Amino acid sequence: MLIRLLWPLGGDNMTRLIVSRLIQLPVILALIFVVTLTLAWWIPGNPLDQPEGKRPSKQIEEAMKRQWNMHSPWAFAASYLQSAARGDLGPSMQYRDQTVNSILAAGLPVSAMLGAAALMIALVVGLIAGVIGAIRPGSVLDLSSLMLALIGVSLPTFVTGSVLLVLFAGLLHWAPVGEWAYTPRHILLPAVTLAAAPAAYIARLTRLGLADVINSDYVRTARAKGLPAHRVLVKHAMKVAFLPVLSFLGPASAAALTGSFVVEQVFAIPGLGEHFVRAVQNKDQSLIIGVVLVFSTVLIGLNLLVDVAYAWIDPRIDLT
Amino acid sequence: MNMKWICASLFVVGSCVAGCGHQEVPAEFVFVTSDEHKHLDPQKISWSTDLRIIQCMFEALLNVDPKDLSLGPGMADRWQVSEDGLIYTFHLRPDAKWSNGDSLTADDFIYAWRRALLPDMAADYTQLLFCIDGARDFFGWRQQQLEEFTAEDKGAARRLWVQTTDRFEEMVGVSSPEDHTLVVRLAQQTPYFLELVAFVTFMPVHRASVEKTERIDPITGFMSDDSRYWTDPSRHVSNGPYVLKRRRFKEDLLLVANDQYWNRSKMKNTSILEKIITNPQTALLAYRNGRAHWLPDVPTASSLAADLVAQQRGDIHLQPIAGVYFYNFNCSKTLVDGAANPLADRRVRQALSMGIDRRLLVEQVTRLNQPVVKSFVPPNVVDGYDPPAEAGFGFAPDKAKRLLSDAGYPGGRGLAGLSILYNTGSGHERLAEAIQRMWDQHLGVEVVLEAVESLSFSDRLKKHDYTICRASWIGDYRDPTTWLGKMATDDGNNDCAYSNADYDGLLSQAAGQTDRELRFAALRRAEAVMLGDSPMAMLHQYVFLHVFDRERVLGLELNAWGRYRLEQVSVR
Repeated sequence: MLIRLLWPLGGDNMTRLIVSRLIQLPVILALIFVVTLTLAWWIPGNPLDQPEGKRPSKQIEEAMKRQWNMHSPWAFAASYLQSAARGDLGPSMQYRDQTVNSILAAGLPVSAMLGAAALMIALVVGLIAGVIGAIRPGSVLDLSSLMLALIGVSLPTFVTGSVLLVLFAGLLHWAPVGEWAYTPRHILLPAVTLAAAPAAYIARLTRLGLADVINSDYVRTARAKGLPAHRVLVKHAMKVAFLPVLSFLGPASAAALTGSFVVEQVFAIPGLGEHFVRAVQNKDQSLIIGVVLVFSTVLIGLNLLVDVAYAWIDPRIDLT
Repeated sequence: MNMKWICASLFVVGSCVAGCGHQEVPAEFVFVTSDEHKHLDPQKISWSTDLRIIQCMFEALLNVDPKDLSLGPGMADRWQVSEDGLIYTFHLRPDAKWSNGDSLTADDFIYAWRRALLPDMAADYTQLLFCIDGARDFFGWRQQQLEEFTAEDKGAARRLWVQTTDRFEEMVGVSSPEDHTLVVRLAQQTPYFLELVAFVTFMPVHRASVEKTERIDPITGFMSDDSRYWTDPSRHVSNGPYVLKRRRFKEDLLLVANDQYWNRSKMKNTSILEKIITNPQTALLAYRNGRAHWLPDVPTASSLAADLVAQQRGDIHLQPIAGVYFYNFNCSKTLVDGAANPLADRRVRQALSMGIDRRLLVEQVTRLNQPVVKSFVPPNVVDGYDPPAEAGFGFAPDKAKRLLSDAGYPGGRGLAGLSILYNTGSGHERLAEAIQRMWDQHLGVEVVLEAVESLSFSDRLKKHDYTICRASWIGDYRDPTTWLGKMATDDGNNDCAYSNADYDGLLSQAAGQTDRELRFAALRRAEAVMLGDSPMAMLHQYVFLHVFDRERVLGLELNAWGRYRLEQVSVR
């Protein structure tokens, strides 16, 4: 509705798309905040309890609750919103010498770096395998890429990760273990682990898309014009065949960039992924809300990028 | 399209290579902690992983020798106790300094203890200070003030705060007649008070820098401080062997020798790196690759621990600790749903306890051969206290069956509605399944297993919403009361809802006793009464599994209380 009202602002389709999405963003985030807060409040248990059952006296617990505004959901929501408006996402209840801001600031760059590397690997490997499969269907290369894709999709990351770690760090001593730095040596193994599943998916999407397009009339026309095979492939066929991959990339990138619990555990990486799981287990409400908001923002942003790219690649598509 | 992607990936690889300059700062001694720290504020911590690192940065009035757990001079080089055992006078060493060069005075201790006593701080171990005269009243007073606080005007919170600091001085029995003398007046005799002052909650903090982080909330009146201070090397000031050099969340903590430390010349290393690796397999791989010297936290509930022990390697060390693993029985007359509780009859509880073959559990299920215990206070952890194991119960299925018959459940018939509650994810299910089978096999009693995640678990314990549940208790200070106090009728941690006037009476009798032997005798009688009632089925003592090579790592002493002096460790 809001978007329709803003129509008179004018501009071309693309600008309208971007503007309307940016206007929707805070509304969506506010909704996500309310839903997350409600769910986080419903998680059974008390975050101030020690799992081992040793607990402070009633008096101290009462003091703790007041300190963290946990005596009522309204007080908590109000104080959270107040500080969030100042850009402060509150203290973590589990890691009390940290704030949600500091946790996000420490984890997000690590996860983003790793995720970006993994996406690159997934794209390069996936696209190459997909193209080979499409132009030489039934060949050894196609079958082996199909095999790899099957392995990539079926094996859980804790298996691939552990195998890679034991092989390259434990036996061959090529990779470091239990430490993190922004170097290819540190990034490669976890990135490959993280890339396995999306690479396989991209390979299959590309192969299917390309196989469809390659026999279509306009590709035949391009070939008949006398264009060399690689130009037909890259300029004509791939452009359309890439669209399904593109729509897969939006959510896949959001997941990759915000970290993976399993890969972080196996490779001891100080990323953000762990908090999506542990914050819920610990009922660390501020942290739950913090990571969910970050993930949602990244997801919405990337989906917007994908839509823009869609419209750019295929002008027939009108997303507005 | 492909070319674009190739160019982009080349760029990313290129930028990675450009970032290669990042190099690990080496440390002389590296160990792995299995979880990220909850706190690094001495007054707030309660976890053993936090305690281990705080002991490196801060030093209390007295030090514990990790070899024999004897108390020796720390920040205080001498101390006196008055004849009635109520006044303790500590003389701080005149050369005691903070890492920034400031002189350490009794005022830093008083300030730290005040922090621990403020309800605002929500510290886990506030109760440990309640033995100090007026401490409990001060805490209660401040709490009430905060509850009743209304921000009438802008200065109200500040006025309350000034009033609070004045009240502390008036009410609480700590004073410093001179800069380097600390006098403590106790509310009642506390024979283990010297143990307490060596504990982390009683460690000093650098008043001048910590005070700067305090903030009074004008609306609620609460005082809060910037908890980031404790992880910020640029602000952090410490008085122990090390100073904080670097802290990377979920990665590591680097400590370097504190040049102002009074015992600096005796330190055997100049830097320690604590790596944080949650996955035990990864930690083990790092150790094997020579990236860590000591793994103190290998989870004993995992099969990894049992596999390591089975390998009989020279670098695996099992250390029994001052903690026990047991099953709670709900002793309330009725259950939360109003139904009658069969476990209210102590014969049923005794029978269930006798239906567990503990030897089989530690040999076949945990496979770590933990010492089987019959008492609540584990043996050999408190000097001079011999727990009354004879009053507890071991495996005796025939006697158990008779008891069940007497209680009206012959062959276990009619005994229904029992379940074993445990929290998932820490290996408790393996024991629960084994015990379920044992009860069925030996007593004919059927129980169901109820697995919940840990926060719900704590919540249900607190509400006594269970019949049988797994439990553990790890002592905080070297005195039987750190265990026995838990079973007192009005104790907040009495999850069994156990109540016996004789037991409570013997505990208070012991509290009034000045003679150590008589006191321990009274506590022993109390423990025997409680064990006879069988509110818990004691199972085994906890053990910690450490991995390190004694040939390489010298001076690392393990003990039941997790007290370490890592400055005395050297790596060959």
